[in-house]
Amino acid sequence: MTAHATREEGDSIVAVEGLAVWHGPVPAVRSLDLTVRRSEILTLLGPSGCGKTTTLRAIAGLEAPRGGRIAIDGRTVFDAGRGVNLPPEKRGLSMVFQSYAIWPHLTVFENVAFGFRARGIGGDRVREAVRRSLALVGLDALAERPATRLSGGQQQRVALARAIACDPGVILLDEPLSNLDAQLRLAMRAELKELQRKLSLTAIYVTHDQEEALVLSDRILVMRQGEVEQAGAPAEIREAPASRFVAEFMGVRNIFPCMVAGGQGGRPVAMLTGGVRLETRAAATSTGPTFVCFRPTSVRLFAAANGGGYPGTLVRRALLGDLMQSVVRSGELEICAHHFPGDGLSEGDSVRWSVAPDACFLVRA
Amino acid sequence: MIGTAATVRRSDVGAFRLLRPRWPSPERALFIAAAFAVTLLVAPPLVAVVATSIGQGAAAALLTPLHQPAILLNTLVLGLAATTGAVTIGGGLALMLGGNGVPGRGLLERLVIVPLYLTPLLTAIGWSWIGSPRSGLLNLFLHGVGLTEVDVNMVSAGGVVAVSILSYAPLPFLLISDALRGIDAAMIEAARVHGASRRFALRRIVLPLLLPAALASSLLVFVQAIGMFSVPAVLGMPSGFNVATTEIFRLLENYPPRIGEATAWGLYLLAVTAALTFAQSVLLGRRSFATITGKSFRPHVPGRSKARHLYAAAAWLYVLLATVLPLLALLWAASIDFVTADPRLMRLTARHFAFVLFQYPKTWLAAGNSALLGVATATLVTLLGLAVSWVVIRTRLRGRTSLDQLSMVPLSMPAMVFALGLLWVYVAIPFLPIYGTIGILLVAYVTHYLPFGVRAAAGAIRQLHPELEEAARVAGASWLQSMRWITMPLLRPALFASWILLFVMALHEVSASILLYTSSSTVLSVTTFDLWENGNPSDVAALGFAQLAATFVIVGFLLRARRRAVLA
Repeated sequence: MTAHATREEGDSIVAVEGLAVWHGPVPAVRSLDLTVRRSEILTLLGPSGCGKTTTLRAIAGLEAPRGGRIAIDGRTVFDAGRGVNLPPEKRGLSMVFQSYAIWPHLTVFENVAFGFRARGIGGDRVREAVRRSLALVGLDALAERPATRLSGGQQQRVALARAIACDPGVILLDEPLSNLDAQLRLAMRAELKELQRKLSLTAIYVTHDQEEALVLSDRILVMRQGEVEQAGAPAEIREAPASRFVAEFMGVRNIFPCMVAGGQGGRPVAMLTGGVRLETRAAATSTGPTFVCFRPTSVRLFAAANGGGYPGTLVRRALLGDLMQSVVRSGELEICAHHFPGDGLSEGDSVRWSVAPDACFLVRA
Repeated sequence: MIGTAATVRRSDVGAFRLLRPRWPSPERALFIAAAFAVTLLVAPPLVAVVATSIGQGAAAALLTPLHQPAILLNTLVLGLAATTGAVTIGGGLALMLGGNGVPGRGLLERLVIVPLYLTPLLTAIGWSWIGSPRSGLLNLFLHGVGLTEVDVNMVSAGGVVAVSILSYAPLPFLLISDALRGIDAAMIEAARVHGASRRFALRRIVLPLLLPAALASSLLVFVQAIGMFSVPAVLGMPSGFNVATTEIFRLLENYPPRIGEATAWGLYLLAVTAALTFAQSVLLGRRSFATITGKSFRPHVPGRSKARHLYAAAAWLYVLLATVLPLLALLWAASIDFVTADPRLMRLTARHFAFVLFQYPKTWLAAGNSALLGVATATLVTLLGLAVSWVVIRTRLRGRTSLDQLSMVPLSMPAMVFALGLLWVYVAIPFLPIYGTIGILLVAYVTHYLPFGVRAAAGAIRQLHPELEEAARVAGASWLQSMRWITMPLLRPALFASWILLFVMALHEVSASILLYTSSSTVLSVTTFDLWENGNPSDVAALGFAQLAATFVIVGFLLRARRRAVLA
């Protein structure tokens, strides 16, 4: 690779092209491209088995890909065509593992100092760097404690301190919050974001939790069966899922097959079974089967006497924390609505429902 | 080109050609080294036994075992009886001591496995003092209390079987205890909640889950029992109960040695054990018995049983028969002046100890050789076992499964057969002059005990989350640094424990040593047997007891040093 090529990549710290990883006869990742820009968090989001962790491990050098190219900070660390494959320790990364991987025979201090020791660095500089990163995660008081005597949350912080201590170009995070209980997870999520802003960290974050991805990321890659299904900013992914898979994964509960007709004002109209016609906000350009989607929070429910909308029967309700979930059967459709409780309706009532035109969108299969 | 020092240009690699993973070069080097070592150790003797008994027009010799149906039958009967007995007793003890509230459970669990640290040779000699017809201690006692018609005879087929059972019961005990600890309590609780009684849950859930361990230990005991030389030599040969190993020994003691016929016997033993190993792999085949699954694993501990005092008593009885009585008999035999029919005429003396320790010329030579072999065997097997297991568990290199299987071959190869093969190989290779030195014994020991080293290391590595090593690599450690700083320190306690067991097992090896030693490369176990054949029986007892005492002192010292190192 030439210096010229390096400059072309500009602000990108990590560049992956055409990555292919096979597990025996099974493709885990097929032809994946991604770039990570300086000081951003890129999230790989998807269900288990979609290849997100494999991608991360291939970038770390823990997995031998079959094809593609990986460059970190302008330096080719893997290139199938030229037989380049640097071992993990030569890639200048750090990583937070799902199990934390805190070494039980070392103290907290030695765990964090390991990266320096491995590179033959010692002395005050190391002590200073370790103390600083332990302070950043709020563990400076526990430096001399054996790593076995730590709670789950503390281990998580040690893993984080270890990852930032050496000032790496990129931090890889492999579902770091998935082993924590719900409350701690929320707290650590906020702390992680705070830390990333403060230190301008560049990170690749792997998770299967859409909420985590939305809160933490600058950009999200939604993965499916080893390929990128959609890439974009959190708001973009949430507001305009490109496919039925992404829509489902992002928590859109109402997805129905439909025909599309041109409506007034250029807005396409989705024609559903039972004569339901829903005006949508954007054109679905691709051919093939099309689905109309809307979020449960966009559904409006009212008593049948009021008129308007489409008729249905309220078949089920359940309280989901702050919101009420109502399921309405309307012909062959089953509409899911989330709204504040206290509308005076009850199960078995005849109701009417409607969706705001701005809330409906079309996706491909 | 920036920082691509590791770049290797391969002109023939097209964009769509399969790329051979290049970064695991240290792993690959380790794999190649381990595969090379294991193949060199295992393959030549195996090939030699098969080739020599088939080739060289040895068809006549190949049929010799068929002319000795009694010996064939004796061997099979010994193998089956010892296996049934040892698995029943070992498995029974595992189930009995597995429960809560058995008095002295912790101590008993440790005492029950002491026979692993004794040698069957000394247990057999001890029992020959207790149970020889008429003059044995037990018979003297029985006659003394007036039971003159009763005469217990341990120097018999029954004695061989009984001592084999006592000696080998700890193997099934260990394997089945482990399997028992691997059962998730939730599996039993689920059975109870769905209406199973305690007994029903034991029969339908616990026992089936223990089946693989029971089968594995059956195979292990069977191979050990039919390949065992010491016990049949001490208790069987004098009473005319001959088995394959004693027959091989007799054929080789002949002048000139009848090696062809001996090898034929070896091939028969090998055929039986190979067939059983194959049968076991077919039986367990695709059934998965992964009992430890996820995070919230709780080991199953059976509740407090009403029979717990009975269980403790049974375990104490086993300890008495397998350890305490034979040791006391040895001590007694080593300390009396002369054996007479009237116990009141016997005098205590230290002269047998004095003789074996200060006058008998072979003692210190043998002790030196044994210590050297013990340390070298334990160290080499631990390291090679670690290398093999690491490659098999931690890498995805092609051929690693074959390496694993190859390293397990010695398990189904009786030591004596293996020694025969080694004889053929190293007598035939003049440029490797290890025949007649302790070098050939070392090769035999390392190969014979390799499966134990591999299994011990594998167990330890599986306990270690792979991310612990990966974290070191990503943090900047090379493969070697990650092995030195992370893997080895974390495995050290487990490797130390297996080192000690290997050291003690190597001290006890008789079956292979008896074919491979020479007067300058003799070892303690062989010297003991030699003295038993040609010397004063009380001297044998003294030598045996001194050897055991020394072993226990050394092991105790090592364990204590280890504990201090951990505390420091």
